[in-house]
Amino acid sequence: MRKFVLFAIPMLAALYSMAQESADIDRNVVISKSKKTFEFVKGDKDHPVQVKEESDRIFTCNNYRTDISVVEFYSDIETIDDLDIYVNDSKKHGIVPKYEYYNSDGIFYSDAHVCYFQLPLLKKGSTSEVRFKKTTLDPNYFTNIYFMDAQEIDEQEIQVIVPSWMQVEIKEFNFGSYNIKKNISKDGDETTYTYTMSHLPAMRNEHSAPGPTFYIPHILVMSKSAQPKDEKYDYFKTVKEQYDWYRKLVLQVNVDAAFIKEKTEEIVKGSSSDEEKVKKVFQWVQDNVRYIAFENGIAGFRPEKPQEVIRKKYGDCKGMANLLTEMLRSINLDARRCWIGTNHIAYDYSTPSLAVDNHMICAWMNKGKPVYLDATEKYIGFGEIAERIQGRQTLMENGNGYLLEKVPVNSYAQNASTETRRFSIENNSMKGHVTQVWKGENKVWLLSALNDIKQDKQENALKQFLAEKKLNYEISNLKVTNLSNYNADLQVEYDVLWKDVVTAFDKELYLDADNRRNLENYNIDTAKRKQAYRFPFKNDLLFETEILLPAGKVVNSLPEKLAIQQPGYSFLASYSQQGNKIIYKNEIILKQTEISPSGFSQWNKDIEQLNNFYNQQIVLKQQN
Amino acid sequence: MKFSTVVIFIAMSTIAGTTVQAQSKDEAKYRKESEAMRKQVWAWEKPQFNVREIPAQYSNASKVVLAHHTELTADSKSKFQFYVITFGVKKEQTLTEVVREMVKLNDKNAVTEYSELSFTQFQKRSGFYAVDKTTAYVGVRIIKPNGTIKEINADDIILTKDGSNEKQAKVAIPDLQPGDIMDYFIATEQQMTNDLSSKSYQVLLFDDAPILSLSFHGQLGKKYAIDYRSYNGAPELQVGKNDDRDIIIDVEKNNLPPFETSLWVTPGRQLPFIRMNISLGYRGPGRKFFNSKKPGEINKLTSSEEALDDKTSSLNNIYYANYWMKAARVQFNDIESDAKKLSKQQDIKFKELSDDEKAAQLFYTFRYTKLLNFDIDNIAKKIDIGSYKFNNMGINFYCILKAADVESNITMSGTRDWIDLNEAMDASDISTVTNLAGSGKFLHLSNVYDIPFTIPSNLEGITETQNLSFTNKATSAHNDLSTGPKMPISTSDKNAHLENLKISLTADKGALAVKRSTTMKGYYKYDKQKDLLLYEDYLESERKIFHEEKTLLEDLEDGKKSRKYVDEVKSAFAEARKKQVDAFTSEAKDNFEQEVTNMKDCKTDKLGVRHTDPDFVYSSSFTLGGMVKKAGNNIIVEIGKIQGQPLVVQPEHRKRDLDIHMPFARSIEYQVELAIPDGYSVEGVSALNKKVDNETGYFSAEATATDKLVTITIKKHYLHIYEPVKNWDKLMQFMDAANDWVNTKLLFKKK
Repeated sequence: MRKFVLFAIPMLAALYSMAQESADIDRNVVISKSKKTFEFVKGDKDHPVQVKEESDRIFTCNNYRTDISVVEFYSDIETIDDLDIYVNDSKKHGIVPKYEYYNSDGIFYSDAHVCYFQLPLLKKGSTSEVRFKKTTLDPNYFTNIYFMDAQEIDEQEIQVIVPSWMQVEIKEFNFGSYNIKKNISKDGDETTYTYTMSHLPAMRNEHSAPGPTFYIPHILVMSKSAQPKDEKYDYFKTVKEQYDWYRKLVLQVNVDAAFIKEKTEEIVKGSSSDEEKVKKVFQWVQDNVRYIAFENGIAGFRPEKPQEVIRKKYGDCKGMANLLTEMLRSINLDARRCWIGTNHIAYDYSTPSLAVDNHMICAWMNKGKPVYLDATEKYIGFGEIAERIQGRQTLMENGNGYLLEKVPVNSYAQNASTETRRFSIENNSMKGHVTQVWKGENKVWLLSALNDIKQDKQENALKQFLAEKKLNYEISNLKVTNLSNYNADLQVEYDVLWKDVVTAFDKELYLDADNRRNLENYNIDTAKRKQAYRFPFKNDLLFETEILLPAGKVVNSLPEKLAIQQPGYSFLASYSQQGNKIIYKNEIILKQTEISPSGFSQWNKDIEQLNNFYNQQIVLKQQN
Repeated sequence: MKFSTVVIFIAMSTIAGTTVQAQSKDEAKYRKESEAMRKQVWAWEKPQFNVREIPAQYSNASKVVLAHHTELTADSKSKFQFYVITFGVKKEQTLTEVVREMVKLNDKNAVTEYSELSFTQFQKRSGFYAVDKTTAYVGVRIIKPNGTIKEINADDIILTKDGSNEKQAKVAIPDLQPGDIMDYFIATEQQMTNDLSSKSYQVLLFDDAPILSLSFHGQLGKKYAIDYRSYNGAPELQVGKNDDRDIIIDVEKNNLPPFETSLWVTPGRQLPFIRMNISLGYRGPGRKFFNSKKPGEINKLTSSEEALDDKTSSLNNIYYANYWMKAARVQFNDIESDAKKLSKQQDIKFKELSDDEKAAQLFYTFRYTKLLNFDIDNIAKKIDIGSYKFNNMGINFYCILKAADVESNITMSGTRDWIDLNEAMDASDISTVTNLAGSGKFLHLSNVYDIPFTIPSNLEGITETQNLSFTNKATSAHNDLSTGPKMPISTSDKNAHLENLKISLTADKGALAVKRSTTMKGYYKYDKQKDLLLYEDYLESERKIFHEEKTLLEDLEDGKKSRKYVDEVKSAFAEARKKQVDAFTSEAKDNFEQEVTNMKDCKTDKLGVRHTDPDFVYSSSFTLGGMVKKAGNNIIVEIGKIQGQPLVVQPEHRKRDLDIHMPFARSIEYQVELAIPDGYSVEGVSALNKKVDNETGYFSAEATATDKLVTITIKKHYLHIYEPVKNWDKLMQFMDAANDWVNTKLLFKKK
């Protein structure tokens, strides 16, 4: 398990990229038979309980000869002990697997390694076989077993062998319609959990989908305790043990309290209220600590020393959360470290396991009420909460005890983006003034994009973004407010000359007031997409335009209004006339981020209506 | 000097990545050596590294390079004794490069760029074209605005590969913030190999950031030799010798403004840089054969004589091994035999063909038998054959033609996207095509769709060329060199993208129903052929032309062995055909930049793979969204959008100082027939007419209408491959006109 959400389960993500290829070639290569056995065994002094894994997959070529990528990950705690490759039952194939450091986007350094090779399938009907033996050195790191693979699986058996000296709990997820049969048998001191299944589809790589724990059939194995010999070892019997393990790691971190206090006091100098102090400390960490993740061994769980994070000006989520906590505590504020699984993970702490969480934040207890601070969200405002942690259960520090809290769910209004235009018509152009305001995660998105651009190119880039790269949308007098104050809304104002947007045919004028056309053509390809679609955050996109009618012109026709109200979203758009002005209003609200496959059809119908609305024009005619 | 060991047939190109590796016996030793290296470099007495202020004009730049210095040393008594990094290799064969750069980081973008560095990223700063196994050390220190200097702790450097003889590392730079100055270096050590080859080295005198001081100092021991050359106004190298007879090389340039990579710029012809070839001198036996330098030799190159020598001897070697030697020549004789056999099948008397016709027949035979030939064990590769690039075909076709007694030359030249022949320093600077002695026509093949009598676009208009041919002597092949031909330049109508669109409104009058036929000519063809043309269709078309009695599948079914895998072939071809519809949809979306649905009738009508029928023509029909608007009872068609979004010159690129080097002259034309729906009349037709025409090109739109049909002809021609910068405004005039036309509309008015 790794500790930062965007890159959680990177190894599975890497498998997806191959899965895509495999899924596309339409059952050309399938896993005709797969057997995986996981057995808890007695280990050595350093690792008294270990998990031995043996996997045996037979790949069959159904249509035409090809080769496929086989990838297996390993790390300091999960070793590859043996690998056998057979091509058409022969070990004479010349395949030399490569063993390399695994470079994952977003993680600067980790202990993840990868073993990979190309496996040929010599002709239609031929088979190739891959057998791995692996060892997980600590049961705490043995968490979930996924039942899917990069290829379709015809027949699969998965066994977990648990000796009587080992206490585990196994929880099943997403078995749904897959017809997975379970059998529990006892043979002497051993209990064997056997799962058999057939015809499992290949994993699919679909963008904007929920994390794999939401839909891949799998089991979560929770090690509770073991007594292989005389000594008893407790794992995460309950969430208390998990908390204790985390807390122990945190308490091992050496804190230079005097240095932290001095630095914090320097930052909050002149602040009168606690809230002002917290805001200042939070933004200082956002501004000064770059996100760089180290995930090697225990560094994946134990935060870096806060004084080191300040010295280096970089850290991962744990480093930042720990630093925030120590800084706020140094000025006598009640701050807590919070472990949390983002919305990428289907679990909560009712299933204690290292697979439950992937992130760490800080909470400032404001009169007993937590205010969540996630400094990895570089441009989020104080009090704003990123979608990925909203509504998630968090394991909050509470001295020797702990609290299980739920991060509040904020409304779509948190992320409102509004654009207000006041235009008049001159010949075939519209001109006027525009104000745009971005809040919450819309603001975060735009600030991130802008700050990725060289400062001498930022204004041009912003203008091109606002003009959607169209030369006929000429922007002047651009003013940007709150580019570096994330606690306030980001606002831009500018004048526009929008050329060639009005077309005269005979004595009538035709114009299109909306060049944003939010969500236009945002239909979902139901033939290809299988997983739910997730927007990055809830949204409220409000677009208002006021158009002053030119002298001598009156409205001939205005587009019909659009009113779509669904439980998860609404599209409301209308044109109206108020005196000598046309008022156009379009508000798109995403109240929920997820569209489930069962909702795709309705969504597509609604998008079609939205497209039809956008494909209507205002018609003005000569006043009689 | 380089020796080519080229397999001439099926020389599919690959891109080999290079990585920098740190070698040491163990990590502790490596870290100790790094420490010693850092002490040396930080102690440099170079005033440019004391500068901390940046000129006011660059205050808003993302980053400013205050100083950039390279020290290149080999076997000399230089004060930079890199004693720490010579691992049992002869010191004289060790070439050490230290690149140090001090850069002011003004914004978050610059901080991000420099905050996580791997050796590969450092290596981008090196002047070597390519590196062999290399030992590398890095040092980084941060100078804060208050002047304090913080050096990166060696422990912050992480080894991602920690082999006993190979190390790779990366470092996250701590405490780096906007306003800081980062002072860093990379030191690499390369071994000169013993094959007498030279190392290519370049000093670039341009960057995307302003550079206040850029300098290079080389000190090479007396056994070394160097060739050098400055390009595009780069300052001359100052080269001399010191008292120890070491070669001393210096170049320095201050206050370089930023260069921003821009549209239609060819760095090799437009931006300043210096190149060097560094070699170990050799005076022993075979010196002439190896074309090696004398120790201590310094040459400021003013001609390309040596590069030409290298190229001709490399081609001679290939010729000698593959043609002069009778046993090897069989491969070329086989192609002639195959050509005769296939000609016979076609009722063509090969012997009676003219040289040009023979050349074409040999070309097609080679392509058919060696590239398109079916191979069950490489079926995926064959289906994807369009994606492969082929090289070294100049000598290949020369040998094929010679075996068939068709006289030809190998024409050697520079390229438009790099340098001219008279500026070549290296055999790899020289490109080759085959030139028929009789007609002067060319043969070249870089992909399977190429046709005879064409040249690559990057050779168009090249005037300086040399012709090479070989005469067989008793024990060797003799080179015959002569002045070569001028390369032709194609006109805009030869590289054309022609759209023929028959359009009507869909039944619901909400979108356009399009019947499309597209013709691609010349250099426009390849990308579309690669994406849309099926290997199966291509192969069957060639089989038909060659009058093969059976289709491939019939042939396979007849074979005793091949019969067994016919099903596999059918499956693989069926899958490729299934994907072709997606490819057509995706191509149409890219072209029109609108929603494309209901794709059907996808066909490649003419394959464009024969010089007698050179155009690639494909057709389809589909629904095109995004261009129809309802306006009360009337309908607006945003007809201007039919050309997608033409290339826009954004405001920051409208001021230009560099001449314009385009890939080739070219044209895009649309012939549109738009049906007027029953019960409607059309308005706005005359407003569609537009013409902007000047010496650089033109945009024109002509529209006429009847009661039933609006006919529109849109043409955009870029007339030349090159324009001087003074013509930039003229070029933009018609490009802007094409952009403005995007906003044009037609009204279907309800009667």
